[in-house]
Amino acid sequence: MLDSETERVVLPDRGGRRAPQPRRKGLPQFGRWWWALPGIAMVIAVHYVATAFGGAFAFTNWSGLGAFDWIGFENFRRIFADSGKLLALGNTLFLAFGAVILTNIAGLAVALGLNRGLKSRYTLRVLFFMPVVLSPLAVSYIWKFIFDYNGPLNAVLRGMGLDHIARAWTGDPTWAIWTILIVIVWQQTGFSMVIYMAGLAAVPVEIEEAAAIDGANLWQRFWHVTFPAIRPAVAISTTLGLVNGLRVFDQIMALTGTGPAGATSTLATEVYKQAFTLGNFGYGAALALVLTAIILVFAVIQQRVSAGRQED
Amino acid sequence: MTQQRRLTIRLGVIAATAASALLLAGCSGSANGGSPDTQKDTKTFSLAFGVSNQVETGYEKLAKEYMTQNPGVKITLNKLPGETYSQTIRTQLQAGNASDVFVTSPGVGEAYSVVPLAKAGLLAPLDDVAKKIIPSGADAQFTVDGKVYGQALDIAFVGNIYNELPGVAYPTDFQGVLDTCASVAAQGKSLFVIAGSIGANTGIMAQTIAATRVYADDPKWDQERTAGKTTFAKSAGWKETLQDIVAMNKAGCFQKGAEGAGFDAITNGLTQGAAVGMFGPSGAATEINTAAQGHAKFDVQAFPAKTSKDKQYGVASSTYAYSIAAGSKNKVAAQKFLDWMAKPAQSKAFATDQGTIPVSGYQDVDFSNSVYAPVEKLLKDGAYTPLPISSWSNAAVYDALGAGVQGLLTGQKTVDQVLADMDSAWG
Repeated sequence: MLDSETERVVLPDRGGRRAPQPRRKGLPQFGRWWWALPGIAMVIAVHYVATAFGGAFAFTNWSGLGAFDWIGFENFRRIFADSGKLLALGNTLFLAFGAVILTNIAGLAVALGLNRGLKSRYTLRVLFFMPVVLSPLAVSYIWKFIFDYNGPLNAVLRGMGLDHIARAWTGDPTWAIWTILIVIVWQQTGFSMVIYMAGLAAVPVEIEEAAAIDGANLWQRFWHVTFPAIRPAVAISTTLGLVNGLRVFDQIMALTGTGPAGATSTLATEVYKQAFTLGNFGYGAALALVLTAIILVFAVIQQRVSAGRQED
Repeated sequence: MTQQRRLTIRLGVIAATAASALLLAGCSGSANGGSPDTQKDTKTFSLAFGVSNQVETGYEKLAKEYMTQNPGVKITLNKLPGETYSQTIRTQLQAGNASDVFVTSPGVGEAYSVVPLAKAGLLAPLDDVAKKIIPSGADAQFTVDGKVYGQALDIAFVGNIYNELPGVAYPTDFQGVLDTCASVAAQGKSLFVIAGSIGANTGIMAQTIAATRVYADDPKWDQERTAGKTTFAKSAGWKETLQDIVAMNKAGCFQKGAEGAGFDAITNGLTQGAAVGMFGPSGAATEINTAAQGHAKFDVQAFPAKTSKDKQYGVASSTYAYSIAAGSKNKVAAQKFLDWMAKPAQSKAFATDQGTIPVSGYQDVDFSNSVYAPVEKLLKDGAYTPLPISSWSNAAVYDALGAGVQGLLTGQKTVDQVLADMDSAWG
């Protein structure tokens, strides 16, 4: 629905879309619905059947080999009675929300800065987006070198006379989790930037100019004109960021290996450790179900909040 | 259905699938290929082992030698990526398409360990030849219900890989260790370099020290723990082991930033001369000496006892074994190959390639001019324990030890907390 006279003037008429041409007689009839059956069968087998099997193991004590017993909710009881798993849950939420907030703020800021006007904006867009296409593992190993006790970061600090600050960053119980967050934000900012740039491209410059003529300052133009127009982009970027943040794995394994002493473990790394390293498939499956439920709950909440704002 | 609801459902499906897909790797059943008594000699079998580069391994060399000596025999070599070897073998065994012969790890501590695979009915029992070459005190690592399921291939001494530098004599007691740490640190170096962020390395260090603190006086401590007669928390030896690690950390025995270091720190520290020694299996000494091309002389040392009056003891264990898949249809040909591998000539050839100790006939080997010279007496006297983790109830205990030692280095955990964690993980 168009909100103002200016929008009525500058936005294309949505009702003007032409109806599709009727199919002419005599041409071959392509696109029967049953052609999709093989694909549907694959989706059911890979997505739904696999999910059902995987979920069922959460109620067993299967080690990954041989027979197993049904043990009801024992695996879930163990999860919520284990302080280490609760720490992993806390880390999962910290990394997910920390990454969503920081990448979206940084991504939006960069997108606004490079939206129009700047001559070198195309080159800068490429530079900001480049980390997104790199392997998270490769990026993490480079950052691990930077954070190393004998690495460049500490060399700079020592060069500035700040020897007392230099430390093994990835082995420090306080700072290790922040090193992971920094790497995630550094790599994912470009992704948010692209989503916001797509949103900003749909904001007519005429509206902003009209607002400026009406006396709105820079912040007012952003808050009352630009931001409402890119709310769909905010919803997409935050939802994808949240789901990816809850599943983050590569960066943790490469940077800290879940250490020191489990201080950076998350539900995703615990699923891997229990199922594959320690041979506790049933327990790992239960952790996976918990992670699934958390992702689903937060994704739904996020969607509801975004939808409510759009309706406002 | 609204777009929002569709997106919500899609998100749920994606999340659930991503989280549960990992569980499908080993869902298939296995098949039993029959006992050797009912099979014929097919003169052909497959052999699987892990590789990390293009260099020909001892497994490959000896398989080719066997084919040369037995012209009618055909061995299909299946080289699997080393970093995923254990998961691959586990999955293949569960699916029933594993190689006839494959490398396993003695004991219970790994995903491809002999005991859990045998208990799951995935391994075939071996003949008496394999039973005869089980290293002293290591029966539990190869047998289940009196039957042997793994054939030891070599023995590795686990201790300090030590650079024999002029003026830095290897200490003979723990106070000597602390004193040497201080003198070496004063030169801007460290006595030991460790990968503090890798639980496997910190865990090896703890086991090496525990040899004299725990197993010298009570070689059957692991059996007592299994029987529930003792716990880590009640063990004065294990408590002393972890306390000594804390004392070494305070004395500057480890490189700066050790708590965040990986294996690259060990490689760099030893090759650049910033550290004198490391904790690890003896094969590393041979590898480093070969890489140094005469510029360094690393040998194998047992970590000193608390005082010079205490009994000196070491850790020596079979690191790898051969097993035959229960579902193999070529058991006769595979068993003949294993019998051939158990002979002293093949055992020595394999150990030479790996930089380890031959599993059969090592009592007659002269170690005086090898990296094993400092521990020769311990080996000949049988004064060593198998690697403790291979007798522990499950892999989580070792995980708790490795992470716990890292927690001691960072101050996150106390000695008592680490011991309690290990008991909790024991189950």
